[in-house]
Amino acid sequence: MSAILEMLKPDFLLHHAVWGSVVVGFVCPLVGVYFILRRLVFWGVALPQVSASGIAFAFMLQGLGLNFLAGNESQEKHLAIVGALVFTLGTILILAALERRGASLSEGRIGALYALAGATSILFVAWNAAGETEMLGLLKGEIVSISEVDFHAMLDIFGVVSACMFLFQREFTLVSYDRDMAVTLGRNVLAWDLLLYLIIGVTISLGVMTVGPLVIFGFLVIPPMAALPWAAGMMSLSILASLLGGLSAFTGFYLSYTYDLPLGPVVVCVACIVYFLSTVGRFLRSKANSPRGSI
Amino acid sequence: MRKSAVEPIVRFKNASLGYGKTAVLTKVDLDIHPGAFWGILGHNGSGKTTILKTMLGLIPRLRGELIGRPRFGYVPQKERLDPLYPLTAHDVAAMGAYRTFVFPHRRSAHDALVRRGLADCGATQLSQKRFSDLSGGQKQRVLIARALAAEPEILVLDEPLAGIDITTQHALLKLLKELKEQHSLTILMVSHRVSAEKGLFTHIAWVDEGKVTTGPSEEMLSKGRLSEIFKSEL
Repeated sequence: MSAILEMLKPDFLLHHAVWGSVVVGFVCPLVGVYFILRRLVFWGVALPQVSASGIAFAFMLQGLGLNFLAGNESQEKHLAIVGALVFTLGTILILAALERRGASLSEGRIGALYALAGATSILFVAWNAAGETEMLGLLKGEIVSISEVDFHAMLDIFGVVSACMFLFQREFTLVSYDRDMAVTLGRNVLAWDLLLYLIIGVTISLGVMTVGPLVIFGFLVIPPMAALPWAAGMMSLSILASLLGGLSAFTGFYLSYTYDLPLGPVVVCVACIVYFLSTVGRFLRSKANSPRGSI
Repeated sequence: MRKSAVEPIVRFKNASLGYGKTAVLTKVDLDIHPGAFWGILGHNGSGKTTILKTMLGLIPRLRGELIGRPRFGYVPQKERLDPLYPLTAHDVAAMGAYRTFVFPHRRSAHDALVRRGLADCGATQLSQKRFSDLSGGQKQRVLIARALAAEPEILVLDEPLAGIDITTQHALLKLLKELKEQHSLTILMVSHRVSAEKGLFTHIAWVDEGKVTTGPSEEMLSKGRLSEIFKSEL
């Protein structure tokens, strides 16, 4: 209990890291619900890895002497964010175009993409041995060392993302649930899809830079899955998934801080425990609601 | 087909319809006048839904003309909607009113429209139930309420009676008849067979072997015409 109180104090050494993790935990599930509902869970696996590959690529360029943004540590991070954004958004647009054309074997395509992104991340790192340690740190997520400026920039960007997700929820739901109805109503389905993809790209890129690809994948998929059986409407799904994500992040940080464990894996394990409890709860509820003696 | 002094609200003129570069239907001539109740009939895979999708703007026509773009209320096949979404019946019905972006504090007018649509379809008591948990007939009522929330000139229904028991079919057809009068609607209904609904149609379009044959229902449902269209099946 004393550790929790200590973590909540404004002068706590890792104050920005705690709240940075919690904010990522709150925001990623808001985007992740659309991965689940559009049955694009594999996108949630592959895109963080693609984002990580973009970060590695940006640092490789720097290692090769193309220092067009680099200079100090802050500028290097900006370069990494640009790399992550370009790779993630480019990939989303290509995948979306292939989905719209109905190109076959979507899962196979995503699997190949995941393998490619993982392989290129390692290769890009290998080509820039000088910055290997720093890059590996970025790829794992450097939430613990997040600066005040980066923390506030992250709050601003994720604030805009959250506002968009709630403000445009009706539109995103309509184009996801029934595209034909959206067209019939005269809505610009392509424009709304692009806005959703842009938000997804920004969230994943910034999130991967902050907490690494593993945690982002966990936050995109696990809290929405845990929330789904208990939701009555899109708003309740979004709010519940977001709360479970934030709760998992805070609990994970507490366990990591208390027992000196790596943050990312602990947060993902906590989220999985929440998902497990949700599944057990759903099973018990369905058993309690089923008529006695029925098969 | 009978000539009408009133201009059609939708007109296909020598149109070819299909997907990509493949024409499914050719030389389609179809005039839909206000107040008509059209049945688009034919076998599975004959191209009925192609007519509907072209009319709604979901696929482009390949050749010819399509004149008129009235306000549509669209009732899709209920199986097409993913049950994974945790939407209530009210959430689904409300989508009909999503014609433009509206800030949350100005959505009360839309909510009133949705509630009225649900009430008109006898689905008020379903509004807080999860849509995916409803029976086939209940889902159709909610989807018709959704179409009404779009304040349509034409109600377009794609196989609304498929997979529904005969009693519920009659109840839905009675509902459509009432709504047509109450809202002065034009209705276009796609079906792969003719049974309980045939008495409601004012006009019928038979879709078969890449061609569309149209006419008033009494003429199209005459025994000679039916045996001509269905050949050995009758």
